[in-house]
Amino acid sequence: MSAVTTAVAKPDAGAVHTARQLLVRHRGLAKLVLLAVVAAVVVPMVNSRWGSGSWPHALTVDPSGSLGKASNWIIDNRDSSPVFLYFFGYVSYGVGYAVRAVYLVLLALGWTGVTAAATLLAWRFAGLRVAVTALVSLALCGALGMWVPTMQTLALMVVAVLASVVVGALLGLAGGLSDRMFRALRPVLDTMQVLPAFAYLLPFVWIFGIGVPPAVLATVVYAAPPMARLTALGLRGADAGVLEAVTSLGATGRQRLLTARLPLARKQLLLGVNQTIMMALSMAVIASVIGAGGLGDRVYQALSTVDVGNALAAGIPIVLLAVVLDRTTAAAGARLGSATVERSGRGWPVWAGIAALTAALALIGRLLNSASWPGGWTVSIAAPVNSVVGWITGHLNSGVPVIGGTADWAAGFTTWVLDPLRGGLQGLPWWSVLLIVGALAWLISTWRTALTAVLAMAAIGVLGVWSVSLDTLSQVLAALAVTLVVGIAVGIVAARSRRVEALLRPVLDVFQTMPQFVYLIPVVALFGAGRAAGAAAAVAYAVPAVVRITTQGLQQVDPGAMEAARSLGATGRQQLRQVQLPLARPALLLAVNQGVVLVLAVVVIAGMIGGGALGYNVVFGLAQGDLATGLIGGTAIVCLGLMLDRVTQPAAATKER
Amino acid sequence: MTNADSTTSAPVFSVRNLWKVFGPKADRIPGSPEADLSAEELRARTGCTVAVRDVSFDVRKGEVFVVMGLSGSGKSTLVRCLTRLIEPTAGEIAIEGEDVRGMDRAQLRDLRRHRAAMVFQHFGLLPHRTVLDNVAYGLEIQGTGKAERRARAAEMVEKVGLAGLEGRRPGQLSGGQQQRVGLARALAVDPEVLLFDEPFSALDPLIRRDMQEEVIRLHREEGRTMVFITHDLSEALRLGDRIALMRDGRIVQCGSPEEIVGSPADEYVRDFVRDVPREQVLTVRRAMRPAVAGEAQGGPALSPATLVSEAIEAVARSGGPARVVEGGRCLGVVDHQRLLAVVAGIETEKVAA
Repeated sequence: MSAVTTAVAKPDAGAVHTARQLLVRHRGLAKLVLLAVVAAVVVPMVNSRWGSGSWPHALTVDPSGSLGKASNWIIDNRDSSPVFLYFFGYVSYGVGYAVRAVYLVLLALGWTGVTAAATLLAWRFAGLRVAVTALVSLALCGALGMWVPTMQTLALMVVAVLASVVVGALLGLAGGLSDRMFRALRPVLDTMQVLPAFAYLLPFVWIFGIGVPPAVLATVVYAAPPMARLTALGLRGADAGVLEAVTSLGATGRQRLLTARLPLARKQLLLGVNQTIMMALSMAVIASVIGAGGLGDRVYQALSTVDVGNALAAGIPIVLLAVVLDRTTAAAGARLGSATVERSGRGWPVWAGIAALTAALALIGRLLNSASWPGGWTVSIAAPVNSVVGWITGHLNSGVPVIGGTADWAAGFTTWVLDPLRGGLQGLPWWSVLLIVGALAWLISTWRTALTAVLAMAAIGVLGVWSVSLDTLSQVLAALAVTLVVGIAVGIVAARSRRVEALLRPVLDVFQTMPQFVYLIPVVALFGAGRAAGAAAAVAYAVPAVVRITTQGLQQVDPGAMEAARSLGATGRQQLRQVQLPLARPALLLAVNQGVVLVLAVVVIAGMIGGGALGYNVVFGLAQGDLATGLIGGTAIVCLGLMLDRVTQPAAATKER
Repeated sequence: MTNADSTTSAPVFSVRNLWKVFGPKADRIPGSPEADLSAEELRARTGCTVAVRDVSFDVRKGEVFVVMGLSGSGKSTLVRCLTRLIEPTAGEIAIEGEDVRGMDRAQLRDLRRHRAAMVFQHFGLLPHRTVLDNVAYGLEIQGTGKAERRARAAEMVEKVGLAGLEGRRPGQLSGGQQQRVGLARALAVDPEVLLFDEPFSALDPLIRRDMQEEVIRLHREEGRTMVFITHDLSEALRLGDRIALMRDGRIVQCGSPEEIVGSPADEYVRDFVRDVPREQVLTVRRAMRPAVAGEAQGGPALSPATLVSEAIEAVARSGGPARVVEGGRCLGVVDHQRLLAVVAGIETEKVAA
């Protein structure tokens, strides 16, 4: 009897045991099983209560009424309420005056003075090569007939960057010196860095209206986080041995900060300035939508009439500005960072010389009566470019034998990829979307991350923009898939061939410094306006980062492991599949994460060139003064960004950050 | 190296029953029954680790006091407790009779600025400053004027043999040179005590020897009190007037090199000093025996501080026993048998008696 029971019980216990082992070993499986159990209980309940299909109407809150009221109140009280008169008003006036003052100084210096100053500063910080780049770039800006808009953008940039650096450095200082502050700041800064630039505009328009001040403030909020983050990290990363030695000599806290901590963090501080400048430029250009003026505005105006020639004429100076600013600050950082290089041309005589030379050239410009770039020296590229675009439209758009044409591709991509994807997503029961999001985030990270992601997604539904957001999501997913396939493939090739990498490097450098906005110009020329063009711009913007991260990840794989694989006779393919790719997993996951964040940023901006969806809601809200629609769209973008970041961010990376 | 009168003056550092415990609620550990648990048990039960355990010693004026022990023995923590770079958990520390643990921030800063300067294993130099500015750093934070501190720093750079390298940055120097900068920086503030935390452990053996000579030379020239942390026994024996041997946070033996090598306090110390060439540490005072008739008159004369290795040479040349003479009085003699017994390590307590 007993023998029978044990015989029966044994395999059963064994099965339970192996099942448990399986669950313990595959923690992901355990999570999935748990989630499935929960879903099996909750879904029928939810389903019977609210039904499936799109987000149930009963669960939405329509904030547009109250938002509309609030924005009306703001408009009514902007000139009378003390909050606006004595706080926002002063902020707005102060920022406006500062930008105008810088602009006037730039105008007073004239093109001779500005070019001289930029070239000399580039030479002082970064050496001769960058100085020549600066000279040529500014000359090109003038030659394209874009001198005045360039100066407008530059004036806005100067004010925004100064403010961002000060705000960021102060926050970073607090975070670097206080643990509690650091713990509080870090998640906020991390989150701010993944949000698309476009989402930052609305709140400022709401309070300050359209114009330069909200553009500057939005830029500051967008560009300050990297400075804060790098300052805090730099201060915290200071060599403990050096700090101890400084303390052992009896330094006060202040002396320790000024003579050791800050100088030791110089490299990070300069990297922070570099990133802040690049993000500020990116934002300053996008902020043309809310009246920032300058180069971005020219691009925006031209794109809205699909005038690619004029868009390009304004887009090229943006790229040149980006390259010069990036190279100058990066070189300055590299120079200061290397402890061994003797500093050449130090001290006030050099600065005095630069100032004197600038003044002299400005004066000469004045005397020759050419403060602005001489009209005779400009070349209009708009007409020829437009004729090229015309030719492209005529010859490449469709009907090219065998390969079809760009418009055909765009149409095909829309019909065969974007539409089915959108239809599929919108056809999914709303609760299943939440489940999928939760499962993905939980699998890759902790339950906390999963909760954040699900809540973010649910917030979108509650705001009543569920199906519009899924439209955006479908574009993001389609562009992401293309980005990852192209980016990882190119990355693998570049990691295996030095020559390909050497060829790619300068291209990637330029691509990575260009502001998002600029990517819209060529895609409109090639694909016309629409969702496919937006996806193409997103791919073009995100691929370089993915290529770079993949290449670095593969190259940094432990050479010992590679050598061991080779010594065992692994073929090149086997090495790649069995050693390099598995070992480079963290880098590949990071590439996915970065890809998602970058793709979303551009897909949203593509609302300006017919991408529709959430981006269009924001543009529409801005253009029509319907701030409720815009704000809800912006909030949904933030939620979508948060969700996508959490779903693709591995737990280890979260810890490491 | 010790001055004759040093034993009479007040000790520079006087440490009594010092404890340093890392972990939550560390202050309840010293003196409690838990303190006697093994390290693992203590950590499992309280989450605490005892780094320094009930340590007492004096550092006399003008001597080189070496704290030696293997890694994890608590020696680096101990030296940091002296100037409260690490805050001690319990016990007393006095510098020339002044209570260090009772000092407020300003007094403590003053102590670090003027009275005790430290040289670190990993140098701790400021990478963005030149050699000269690194050496002048201690004076700079004291508020010394630029010309004065530069002159003083230049003097120190010269003293440690780095003349001509004043304009370099630490990254351009070799490890040995960097440590010379660290040494010059500590010397520039003219401290009463120099604290060395394994200063030469990161250096090549040859450079290390050079640096040890440098420290011996500096000590001979200036007679500055030094506390020297090391894990290298030969370094401890070369430099130390007195050596405190640490194990698991406790001082297991404290004495002159000769005492440590000649009469190890326990098996651990005996094991530790087993491979030391004893004839180069022990003196004839320890090896001699009473003179028998006639021996007190003839043969070469040695002072009691003569090393056994030198005595071997004298005895081998003369062929007979040598006298140990102090102040014209013959204390005893050493012969082949005695000296060989030292080398062989079979001299016993009765020999010393």
